Amino acid sequence: MAIEFLPIAILFVLAIALAVFIVFLGSIFGPKRYINTKMMPYESGMTPIGPGTRRMNVRFYLIAVLFILFDIEVIFFLPWAVVFRSLGLFALIEMLVFIGILLVGYVYAWKKGALEWE
Amino acid sequence: MTTTDLLSVFPLLILILWACLVLLLDVFLKRERLTTILTAIGLVVTLGFSISQNNLNLTGFNNMVVVDNFAVYLNIIFLGSGLLAISLAHDYLKRMGINRGEFYVLLMFSISGMMLMAIAADLIVFFLALELLSIPLYVLAAFARPRVESEEAGMKYFLLGAFSGGFVVYGIALVFGATATTNLSGIAARIAEHQADIPLLTIGAALILVGFSFKVAVVPFQMWTPDVYHGAPSAVTAFMAIGAKAAGFAALMRIFVAALPTLSEQITPIIWVLAALTMIVGNIVAVAQSNIKRMLAYSSIAHAGYILMALVSYGQSSVASVSVSAALFYLLSYAVTNFGAWAVVIAVEKAEGKGLALDDYAGIGRKYPALAAAMAIFMLSFTGVPPTLGFVGKFYLFRAVIDGGYIGLAVIGVLTSLISAFYYLRVVVIMYMRDGEPEVRSEPWLNLTTAFTAIATIVLSIFSAPILQWASQAILSTF
Amino acid sequence: MNYLLHPLILVTFFPLLGSLALLFIKPEKKNTIRWVALITSLLTFIFSLLMLAQFNANNPNIQMEIDNPWINVAGWNINFHIGVDGLSILLILLTTLLTPISILSTWTAIDKRVKDFMIFFLLLETGMIGVFIALDLFLFYVFWEFTLVPMYLLIGIWGGPRRIYAAIKFFLYTMAGSILMLLAILWLGIRQGTFSVPELIASGANIPVYIQIWLFLAFAAAFAIKVPMWPLHSWLPDAHVQAPTAGSVILAGVMLKMGTYGFLRFNIPMFPNAAIKLAPWMALFAVIGILYGAAVSYAQKDVKKLVAYSSVSHLGFVMLGLFALNPQGIQGGILQMVNHGLSTGALFLLVGMIYERRHTRDMDAFGGLWKAMPVYGALTLIVTLSSMGLPGLNGFVGEFTILLGSFGSKAIGSPWFAGFAAIGVILAAVYLLFMFQKLFLGPLDKEENKILKDLNAREIITMVPLLILIFWIGLYPKPFFALMAPAVDKLVAALQTAATIAMH
Repeated sequence: MAIEFLPIAILFVLAIALAVFIVFLGSIFGPKRYINTKMMPYESGMTPIGPGTRRMNVRFYLIAVLFILFDIEVIFFLPWAVVFRSLGLFALIEMLVFIGILLVGYVYAWKKGALEWE
Repeated sequence: MTTTDLLSVFPLLILILWACLVLLLDVFLKRERLTTILTAIGLVVTLGFSISQNNLNLTGFNNMVVVDNFAVYLNIIFLGSGLLAISLAHDYLKRMGINRGEFYVLLMFSISGMMLMAIAADLIVFFLALELLSIPLYVLAAFARPRVESEEAGMKYFLLGAFSGGFVVYGIALVFGATATTNLSGIAARIAEHQADIPLLTIGAALILVGFSFKVAVVPFQMWTPDVYHGAPSAVTAFMAIGAKAAGFAALMRIFVAALPTLSEQITPIIWVLAALTMIVGNIVAVAQSNIKRMLAYSSIAHAGYILMALVSYGQSSVASVSVSAALFYLLSYAVTNFGAWAVVIAVEKAEGKGLALDDYAGIGRKYPALAAAMAIFMLSFTGVPPTLGFVGKFYLFRAVIDGGYIGLAVIGVLTSLISAFYYLRVVVIMYMRDGEPEVRSEPWLNLTTAFTAIATIVLSIFSAPILQWASQAILSTF
Repeated sequence: MNYLLHPLILVTFFPLLGSLALLFIKPEKKNTIRWVALITSLLTFIFSLLMLAQFNANNPNIQMEIDNPWINVAGWNINFHIGVDGLSILLILLTTLLTPISILSTWTAIDKRVKDFMIFFLLLETGMIGVFIALDLFLFYVFWEFTLVPMYLLIGIWGGPRRIYAAIKFFLYTMAGSILMLLAILWLGIRQGTFSVPELIASGANIPVYIQIWLFLAFAAAFAIKVPMWPLHSWLPDAHVQAPTAGSVILAGVMLKMGTYGFLRFNIPMFPNAAIKLAPWMALFAVIGILYGAAVSYAQKDVKKLVAYSSVSHLGFVMLGLFALNPQGIQGGILQMVNHGLSTGALFLLVGMIYERRHTRDMDAFGGLWKAMPVYGALTLIVTLSSMGLPGLNGFVGEFTILLGSFGSKAIGSPWFAGFAAIGVILAAVYLLFMFQKLFLGPLDKEENKILKDLNAREIITMVPLLILIFWIGLYPKPFFALMAPAVDKLVAALQTAATIAMH
């Protein structure tokens, strides 16, 4: 059984070896010029200013959590949509229940003021 | 989906819908008192539906849930605990300045998770129930925010809960790998047909055991317990000590007794060691505590060991049902006593974590004789001195152990209860034999809970036959 | 039959009723509380006399039996099974007699938290009587453990300076033994399918001997600590010395008997072969206890401690008598239990009286008391003589019968045990007379002692019933023996059957 996987293993080893080899070549032949801009940490293309551990407004976290929560739950719509035809009415009701529960949470968050910035 | 499916989860559906409704009502009306009353009504109604499921023996959703008397018994314990927790919390939350309606909603969600645990018959459903019961509890543990201890409790509980959840999932995966199913009846059938990969299955089962051991606080997976029990608001701790424990044991009993009795040769020694360790460590470390909440936390660890003892003989078909009903009875007796003890703790507790040292109980015997008598009854019941419920529970439990032939474990059990006598009696000593100027809260619901549980602890021990009968009929349906 | 008016139910639960009634009296009304408690215990005593009147001494079996299903579910077979026979009736009477006497003795001695004291005391009485009437192991265990709690509180709240230590030691020591017994009870209950003592006695000889020995030892762990047998006696001096007088009286008078009674009621008949096999060992420990207790008593300076250690010695006699396993030895043992309850109870009362006056129990602080308190001196003399076994008083009858029984006992197998025990009688005379001399003879040279008042009427009343019985048993013990003889004969006959079956 193991023999069937041999080509994959060879490919795997070759790929790793090639990658390591190219990086190695680069480090030998590449020019090395250290300037300030190049030594800066990369941060989404922005110029980093101030101390690294700057405080973020706590509201960002709340929004982020809510976003992840609802975003991930929306992902469930995708597989649902794929099998919707074969499941029919049952799937529709199930999804309505799901959305209903989601809505309760949404209304709660809204009413609690989690969505207000001020 | 059929009517049977719907019937089998009906109480659960009612509770979850009610919880959603109460959540919205609370947030729109902002009247905590109404929330409390509505929650109590919801729990009572659910209790009624749960009781009506007795002797129905339903299965639903392609054997993913089973409603047998075992489940009904546990559901009644969960809902009863919820009601007692409300009566403990009612004035306590106000006094501590944390009276937020979410408490009650989270309580209901957590109870619905526990109820799902009791009826689960598929490993996936167990995991679902585990998360549903745990997540509200994490929030509840941190409910006294911004008190640091409470936040620490919530964080710790969350991290270790997630960690233990990982064990459970990994165990489920391995069991699935070994048997190609997650359904308990399917697993049992696979094993019976000799189509299961036994070594893989054993590892999976052991991992599930470890995962739930975290939940029920079995040594060596108990390290979160004292901090969480100490930091969480007392009313939450009281509920957690019963609800989470009972749910964890419900899962262990269902999975091991119903689906994996054939593995007992490998699993029993593990349970034996875990139970012995838990009883020894829990009781010995409790002796050194000077804070009543931490002492009760270690005592709850020790009691987890006693209950686990019942599982040791789960593989012997003649003894298994006795063991299960012994564990169930013990859970009930522990629940009653535990809520009583926590009610007293809450009565003595003051804001900012004061009033929790054992020394704060000095002089209660003289100044508040009724409260002291109640606390003494609870302590004696924890110790297992007749005539209290704790004694009958231990009697039944030790019988199951001796019946299974594990006399060594039974000896460890009784010797550790001797150790426990030392620290439980210390509370009595401090209350009655030391002078002090204690201050105790007298709140109607709290007093009612204390009186009710104290009387129940004595009376139910003398007239224990009906409960024993009920517990002995709460057998697991086998596959 | 009307259960509520059944004599045994009345005797057992009337004190409980009294303690419930006390709950509704205000704690400030101390005298009302005292009277209610006293009347309750006196009524209980009267009920126990009614029970005695209904008791047929010629019947060796259990009488006034109640056997009601209690917990008969889930494979349990637990009944509310009570009854009385010749082995237990004297001990019940002893309990109901000593309780009112003890309550009377606390009239002035206990002045703080009188209400709690009386409630616990009456609860204790219910527990103790329950131990003597229970014929179901579960019920027995419930009563047995239940007695611990009130006694623990009595010592811990109203005791001497080291009361908390003594109370916890008492509780833990006793519980250590009884939980081992609990396991044995469970084993029996599961294997034999019943917790009923008569049924277990009937089937006891069928258990293989080596298992019998294990069970015997598990039960003995509970009882030997309670008795206490040497070397498990170390809780006793602490508990006795720290306990309030009434507590000591009950502790010595009744609770120690629960241990010896346990051997008699459970160990010997339920595990006959083990009892026969282990009899020489039990006798050995008993004799060591007799001599050790006597020797240590002699070394005491504290009168109460001396009396406490003398209990170790005296109960050694009881154990020796019981494990002679012949009618004489067992009858002597039972009678000696009663005697010890009377004499040592009386001694503790007397010690309590002097302690109340002088707040010390150091023998060196006294001397020449005879001149200051002649009545007290005379009473103490009688009780001391009774305790050391002077012919004509109760102690002699018991000890003599025990020595006779153990001398000819086949089970013990050697007359040497009786011989060494007889030395114990002499030693008892030494330490008790020594104590008497220290307290009462010699010059009355201490100022504090010269102004001591003699006993008042209440104190004399507490002593009178004990003195009457001391003389009665000493001069005419026949009615007491008659009460127990048939039951003892039956027990010994059963033992012999078991022994012969085991031989073949």
